[in-house]
Amino acid sequence: MSPPAHDLVRIMSKIILSDDLRSYLDGLPDVELDLLLEAYERPLPEAFRVNTLKTYEEKILERLRSRGYSIEPIPWARHGYVASGGGDLGKSLEHMLGLIYIQGPVSMAPVEALDPRPGEVILDLCAAPGSKSTQIAQLLRGEGVIVANDISFDRVKALSSNLQRFGVLNCVITLADGRKYPRFAKEFFDRVLVDAPCSSLGIISKNWGIARAWSIGIVKRLSELQKRLILAAFDCLKPGGILVYSTCTLTVEENELVVNWLLESREDARVSEIRLRGLRHRPGITEYSGVRMKDEISKTIRIMPYDNWAEGFYIARIMKEVR
Amino acid sequence: MRLLTSAERRYLVKRLEDQHGVENAFDDLVLIQTGQGRIRATTKEAYDVACRLKRVQQVGLYVAKMVKGDVILSIEGSQLLGAAITKNVIELSEEEAEEWMKAAPIERSEKIEARYVVARCGDFYLGSGRVSRDGRIYPQVAKWRRIPEE
Repeated sequence: MSPPAHDLVRIMSKIILSDDLRSYLDGLPDVELDLLLEAYERPLPEAFRVNTLKTYEEKILERLRSRGYSIEPIPWARHGYVASGGGDLGKSLEHMLGLIYIQGPVSMAPVEALDPRPGEVILDLCAAPGSKSTQIAQLLRGEGVIVANDISFDRVKALSSNLQRFGVLNCVITLADGRKYPRFAKEFFDRVLVDAPCSSLGIISKNWGIARAWSIGIVKRLSELQKRLILAAFDCLKPGGILVYSTCTLTVEENELVVNWLLESREDARVSEIRLRGLRHRPGITEYSGVRMKDEISKTIRIMPYDNWAEGFYIARIMKEVR
Repeated sequence: MRLLTSAERRYLVKRLEDQHGVENAFDDLVLIQTGQGRIRATTKEAYDVACRLKRVQQVGLYVAKMVKGDVILSIEGSQLLGAAITKNVIELSEEEAEEWMKAAPIERSEKIEARYVVARCGDFYLGSGRVSRDGRIYPQVAKWRRIPEE
C-alpha cells in the first residue's frame, strides 16, 4: 500500500536546521545530531489514555482492537497506550465521547513523575490545552481537586472543552498570570505542575516550523519567564509538597538553569529522583557554558526524541522541605 | 458563579424524575447556575477551593440546561446519571451513535411522546436529543463535540 501524499512529502523531504540552531545543538553535551535529525523526520507515535473516570480500560481496548487497531501499553504511564493501524483516533466515537484522550507517550511522563494521590489539591499552573490536567484528574480518581490555570483566554476555552469531554467534576479553571499566583494561593497546594511554555525543540517532528522560528533570543526570553513561573509554583506549595517542572525542549537555559536558579533562590527546595518504568532518559546537565550547577541537578532527567522515538522532554521533581 | 437555590434544585430534580425517571439526581453534588439556563455540577471540595481562589472562570462539569421547563442533559450529564435514566431513552446502534455525534437527525419508526430523549449506545450515554413534530430526533451535541464530516 502506498503512503498518502502528505506522508510522501514528509518521507521525501529532509529537515533543514538554521546554522544557529545546528550550532546550538552541536554545543550541547550528550546530543547525537544525526539521530536527532532522524527523530525530527519521523512522525510521532499515536498514543492515548483510556479515561478510567468514564469507562473500564479493558472494554475500550477490546472495542479498538475489534476495529483493527494494534495496541501496546506505555510502560511508564498508567492507562496509556500506543495505537497503530485502524483509523484516525481523533475522529473516533471514543474520542468524541471522552472515553479516550489522545496524548503523546512521553508527554504523559511529567504527571507520572508528579504522582498525584486521591484527596490532594493540585495546581497545573500552565494548563492549556489540558492534557496533563485531565491526566491528573484521572489519577485523583474523583477525590481531591485539580486547579487548572492558564494566562490566555483563548487557550482556557480549549482547556475547558477538554476537561468537559474528560468528565472532570472536581476541577476549577482559573485565568491568571501564573507568576502572580502566590499572591492569593501561597502554600495552598499539595502538588504543583509547571509544564512551562518553551521553545519546543523536543516536538519538532509535529511541526517543522518550530525549527524555523527558533532563536537564542527567544530562548533567553522564555528562560526568564520560566524562572518566574517555577518560583511562583514553588511558593504555592505546602511544606512537604511536590513540584514537577517540565518542558518539551532541549535547551539548558530553559531546563537545568531554571531549576538551578530555583535551588539558589529557595533554601527549602530539594531535587528528588524520578522513577519511570521503561522510559529511556539521561541525567540533567550539571556543567554548561562555564557554569557549574548544583550536583542535585543530575537527578533531573532529559529525554531526547531518539531515546524513545517520541517527544523530547525535560523533567525535574522538586520537594519543598518541611522546616 | 451562583449556587442553585433549594427551590431551583427541587425543580430540576422533579423535572429529571418526570422526564427520565431519575430519582434524587445529582444529590451528592454542588449545583451551580451559569448563563442561559446552564447548570454545572461539582464536588463540595472543588467548590470550596474555587471560593478560596481568585480569577475563577469555571468550576466542575456542564451537566444540563433548562429550556422552557425541560431539562436537556449534556453528554457528561447523561453519563453521570447513567443507568438511573429509565424513561425516554432510545437505544442506538454503533452506526447511529456515530451519526448522533455528527448531530445528524435520527429516525425512529415508533412514535415518541416526549419532547426530549436521552440516547444510549450499549453502556455509553450520548446526551439529550430533541424530538421534532416529524418524529425525527435532533441530537443536542455542541459544535465542538461533533465528529467532523469527511
